Amino acid sequence: MDASELQPIMQFLQQRVPFSSLDEEALLSGCRSLTIGYYSKASAFVPLDPLHPQLYIVRSGAFEVRDINGELLDRLGEGDYFGFPSLLSGEEASNRVAILEDGLVYHLPPEMFNSLRTKSREFDRFFNKAFAKRLRHQGRFKAKELATTSRITTLMSKSPLTIDMKATISDAARLMRKSRVSSVLVIDNEKLVGILTDKDLRNRVLAEGLDGSLAVHQAMTTTPISIESNSLVFEAMLLMSEHNIHHLPVVDCGLAKGIITSTDILRGQSSQPLLLIGEIDRQKDLPSLIQVSKQIPLLLQNLISADARAEEIGRVLTSVTDALTRRLIVLNQQILGEAPMAFCWLAFGSQGRQDQVACSDQDNGLLLAHEPDEAAEGYFEALSKAVCAGLDECGYIYCPGNIMAQNPKWRMSLKKWRGVFQKWVNTPDPKALMHSSIFFDMRAVYGPQSLFNGLQDEVLNNTKDNDIFLAGLTGNSLTSTPPLGFFRKFVLERDGSEVKGIDLKHKGSALINDIARVYALSAGIKEVNTAKRIRALMDQNIINRKDALNLADAHEYIAHMRLSNQGYQYTNGKPVTNYLMPKDVSSLVRHQLRDAFKVVHDGQVGLKLKMMRSY
Amino acid sequence: MKRFYLKNQLRLKAFRAADGVIADYYRALTCAISIPLADIPLMAIDLEMTGLNVQFDQILSIGMVPIQNGMLQLKDADYRLVSIEGSVGDSAAIHGIVDGQLETAISANEAMHWFLEKTKGHVLIAHHAPLDLCFLKAEIFRCFGEKMTFVSIDTMSLERARILRQHEVIKEGSLRLDACRSRYGLPIYAAHNAAVDALSCGELLLAQMASIAGAEELTLSDLLR
Repeated sequence: MDASELQPIMQFLQQRVPFSSLDEEALLSGCRSLTIGYYSKASAFVPLDPLHPQLYIVRSGAFEVRDINGELLDRLGEGDYFGFPSLLSGEEASNRVAILEDGLVYHLPPEMFNSLRTKSREFDRFFNKAFAKRLRHQGRFKAKELATTSRITTLMSKSPLTIDMKATISDAARLMRKSRVSSVLVIDNEKLVGILTDKDLRNRVLAEGLDGSLAVHQAMTTTPISIESNSLVFEAMLLMSEHNIHHLPVVDCGLAKGIITSTDILRGQSSQPLLLIGEIDRQKDLPSLIQVSKQIPLLLQNLISADARAEEIGRVLTSVTDALTRRLIVLNQQILGEAPMAFCWLAFGSQGRQDQVACSDQDNGLLLAHEPDEAAEGYFEALSKAVCAGLDECGYIYCPGNIMAQNPKWRMSLKKWRGVFQKWVNTPDPKALMHSSIFFDMRAVYGPQSLFNGLQDEVLNNTKDNDIFLAGLTGNSLTSTPPLGFFRKFVLERDGSEVKGIDLKHKGSALINDIARVYALSAGIKEVNTAKRIRALMDQNIINRKDALNLADAHEYIAHMRLSNQGYQYTNGKPVTNYLMPKDVSSLVRHQLRDAFKVVHDGQVGLKLKMMRSY
Repeated sequence: MKRFYLKNQLRLKAFRAADGVIADYYRALTCAISIPLADIPLMAIDLEMTGLNVQFDQILSIGMVPIQNGMLQLKDADYRLVSIEGSVGDSAAIHGIVDGQLETAISANEAMHWFLEKTKGHVLIAHHAPLDLCFLKAEIFRCFGEKMTFVSIDTMSLERARILRQHEVIKEGSLRLDACRSRYGLPIYAAHNAAVDALSCGELLLAQMASIAGAEELTLSDLLR
C-alpha cells in the first residue's frame, strides 16, 4: 500500500491540525496503522476499552463527551478527536462518549500515536496536556516595526478616482479638481491602462501646448508602475523611491483596487501613537482636535496589522483617549477659567482598565476635592458638558447608560463618592453589582493623584475581605459563561444550545475582567488593568502561578482574536462587531479558542469555590 | 441450518479439490464460518478490469482490506497490479491504470496464488460481488484447472433488500457504491482504485451491519444471499 491507495484518508488527515504538521512519510505510516470502525446510534455509547486506549478521529457523524457527573464537556463532529487524555496520562478514561449520529471513526493505535509525537514537535504539543492548558504564543504577538510590516491595504484609498480612457483631458482635470486629488486612474473596460497626475498635466499638457479636448490617453502615463494589494507598505515605499514617483495604483488581476500615494504613507507614519499624542497636545481648538482624532481608527488598523499584542493595543489606544481627554479639559479651562477647586477626571470601564478598542463609548465622572457651592457647581457642569461633547465629536459616543461627568449624579465630592461606594459594598443589590463592573475599574485621567488615592484607598478598604459583597459580585459574574467551543458551523454553549457566532467580548474578555476584578477587590489591589491585576494576584499568591499565567494567556489570546477579527471585518467592508463566525477560523484556532474558553471556565469555577463558600 | 449446509458443502469441496492450495482454502473457510459472525475474519475486496465481459476482459488490479472484530485494518490492506495480455485500451479512462504502470505488475498466475493465500479463512465482501467473483473464478480456472466457489457477502444485494424492505422503489443508480455510502453519511472518496473501493465497500458493510443490528442479533446467514 502506498500513498495513492490511501489517498482519501491521507487527504483528510492532511487538512487536520496537528496531522498537517507531519511529513509525508510520517503521515503515511500513521494512515497505514489506522483501523476504521462504524458506530451506530442504536448502541448509544462508543465502547472505550480501558485496556486499549487509542486516538479516535471522527470522520463522520456526531458524538458527545460527558464526564462522570454527566456534565457536557464537548460535542464532536467531523475532524474532532477523543480518547487522547487517557493516551497521554495513562489513566483510565472516565468520560463517556455518546453517539448522537451514526458515524465513521478512525482509530490510531497508541504505539503509532507515540511515534508520531516523537517525530513531530507540533503533533506532540497539540495533544500534550501542557500545551492544551497553556496558551503562550509570545513569539506570535511580538510587535513588529509598523512602517515595514504593515500592509498597504491599511493606508491606501479604497475607492480610487477613475476615468474612462476616451474622456477628455479637461474632463479629467475637472474631476480631479472636484475630488481634490492629484491623480486619476485611467481605465478601459474596467482594466487599468494608465494614470494621469498633476505633474502630467503640467509637463505633458501645458508645457507641450496640448489641447484639453484631446483624449486622456494621449497625456497619461501608460501601463504605470503598480503594486498588488497584499504588498507591504515598505515595498510601496521602495517602489516609489526607486522610480521617483508619488502615486502607486493598487492593482489585482488588472483591476484597479485603489491608489496609494506618498502622502498616505506619510500620514500612516504620523498615526503612530507617540506622534499622534504629540499632535493632540499641540491642537488649539476643538475642530482641529476632531480632525486629529480621525486618525485613531487608522492607528488601530496599523497596530492590528502589525500584529501588536492585544494588551498593548488596548493601552496605546487608551493613552490616546487619555491625552484627548486631558487636552479637552485644558482647552475648556482656557475658556472657562481656572477651576474653583482641585478635581479629578475619572475614567471607568474599558478606559479605566486601559483596554479600549474601536468605537468605545464614554464612561467617566468627576471627583471634586470638597462640596461645591452653586458657582462651583455651575463651573463644573459647564466644563464636564464641554468635555463630554468634545469626546463625542472625536468619536467616543455618549454613554448609553449616562455614566458621564456631565450627569450631575456622577459629579460629586470625595465625601459623596465614598458614600456611594460604601452603599454599593454594604448593600450589594443587583443594580449595585451591575455598577461594580464599571465603577470599580477606575482611574484618574486628570487631576491630583493624592485626591484620587483618597477615594481608591477607602473603596478598597471596604471591599477587602468583605465576604458578602464579594460573594454577590462573584454570583453576578457567573451569570454568563464562556462557550464550550465549536460544533460544526455553530458555537456550542455550555448548556448544549447552539448559536451562530462567539461574542468574544461578553463571553470571553469580559468574563476574565470579572474574575480579575473580584480577586483584586478581595485583596485590595490597586491595579485596574486586567493583565496587571492578574500579575499582582500571582505575585501575592492569591492565584497560583500556573492558573494566573493561563488566565493571562487566555485573556490575551481572546482579545487578540477579537482584534484580528475586527481587523478582518474592517478590511472586508463588513460591520465591525465582537462576533466571531466559526467558518472564519482555521482548525488550529478552533482548538486554541476551545482551550482558552476552558481556562475561562476553570477560572470561573475556581472563583466560585473561593468566594462563595459561605453560600 | 443454512450454515450447516454450507459447512458440509465446503467440506465436500475440500475433499474433491485436486489442488492442495484450493483444498486448504476450503478447509480454512469451513473453520471460519463455524464461529460467531462478530469473530469471522472478513475481507473487503475490489477488482479493476479492462471491461465487463469475462470472456474477453482481464483483471487489472486487486485491492483488499480485512475486517477484524468489526474494524477495518488498514495495516493489512493490500493491493496488486496484474499484468495483462495486450493493452489496457480505452478502459484506462475509468480506472486510471495505464500500460506503463503495469511494469510493476505480477502475472495473473502469481496474482491468483497471492489472492487465495491472502483471503484464506476469510469471508469475502464486495459491492456487486457476482461480477468480481466471476472474473476471479475464470482466472483461477485458467491457473488451476478447477472450478472455485467463494463464500461472499454482497453489499449491493444487502442494500437492495434493505431498500425493498422499506417499500421503496429502487431508482436508477441508487445502488451504486457512492449512492449507498451517502445514505449512511459515509464520506465521499473520490477514486476508482481497487484498494480505495475495497475500503469503501468495507466501510459500507460496517454501516449496513450497524443499521441491521439495530433490530436483531446478526448471523452470517442474514448477510449471505
